[in-house]
Amino acid sequence: MRTPPPGATRVEQSTRREVNQKISRRTQATVASAAVSLDHIERRLAELDREWDIERALQTNFGIINVASIILGGLVARPWFLLTGVAAGFMAKHALEGWCPPVPVLRRLGFRTAREIAQERYALKALRGDFEDVDASKPHQALAAAAIDHGR
Amino acid sequence: MVSTVGRIRRLTAEGLNNDFEREARARVAYYASRPEQIERRLRELDDEWDIERVIELEVAGTVFTGFFLGITLSKKWFLLPAIASAMLLLHSARGTYPLLPLLRRLGFRSANEIARERYALKAVRGDFEGVSESEEQKRVQTAFDAAQPSGPSAQRPYVRSV
Repeated sequence: MRTPPPGATRVEQSTRREVNQKISRRTQATVASAAVSLDHIERRLAELDREWDIERALQTNFGIINVASIILGGLVARPWFLLTGVAAGFMAKHALEGWCPPVPVLRRLGFRTAREIAQERYALKALRGDFEDVDASKPHQALAAAAIDHGR
Repeated sequence: MVSTVGRIRRLTAEGLNNDFEREARARVAYYASRPEQIERRLRELDDEWDIERVIELEVAGTVFTGFFLGITLSKKWFLLPAIASAMLLLHSARGTYPLLPLLRRLGFRSANEIARERYALKAVRGDFEGVSESEEQKRVQTAFDAAQPSGPSAQRPYVRSV
């Protein structure tokens, strides 16, 4: 049996390379345009906190499909219940392998993984100078404390 | 609309949040004195199941169980997937979820908490040291590369070592 891809990269691994690259290029472009001033960086960091990652979009999508199929199955015709079972199967597949039918569509629409959003966040924090006092000459305890405090 | 980042922490008991933070601090301190092991820890973090993944699998299981009982026993069982799906919608909109306290107690972290540990380890390793020293025009590129989740040299596609 094939081992499932690691948790954090499973969606990227089941996305076409060109689409991943397009998302990465767009991320780099937003970093560049935010890097012009501290104000821009602050504003962009606040936007990133509100950005919907692909898991949040998918959860909404699954919730709506399931509720709709159950209502249609109960009120209109029983075969609609089959959609509930199929959606559950795809949701499990997504949780394990990072792929389900809406993923290619959402990726093309530009929905990023939490990991891709974190890359932009920490690139901006590095540009702001957040990690400047994480200096290898410090004792280990102080070094670790500085590193994690700046991750906030 | 509730922001994506921080909603899990806001909905978790303060004491538990503090435990997660203390443990992450202790791990970063441990690896600060063993930088050669940081690469391996970063890969472990990639394998860690974040709380969204656990919730998705749990809802899938509940919905499928309800669906199966609904078609074999009685239509009333479809109430179960209906409630589970409504809870999932509530979770995506507001962050709250009935099993959240249990899952947090079991030690599942948000993607954001995992990212914080990842980037603290990367900072400790010195991944960000080149950013302030690099030339003005190259600084954005340097910062973007330094923030690659698997390391500054990870221009190559991510390959899992088994």
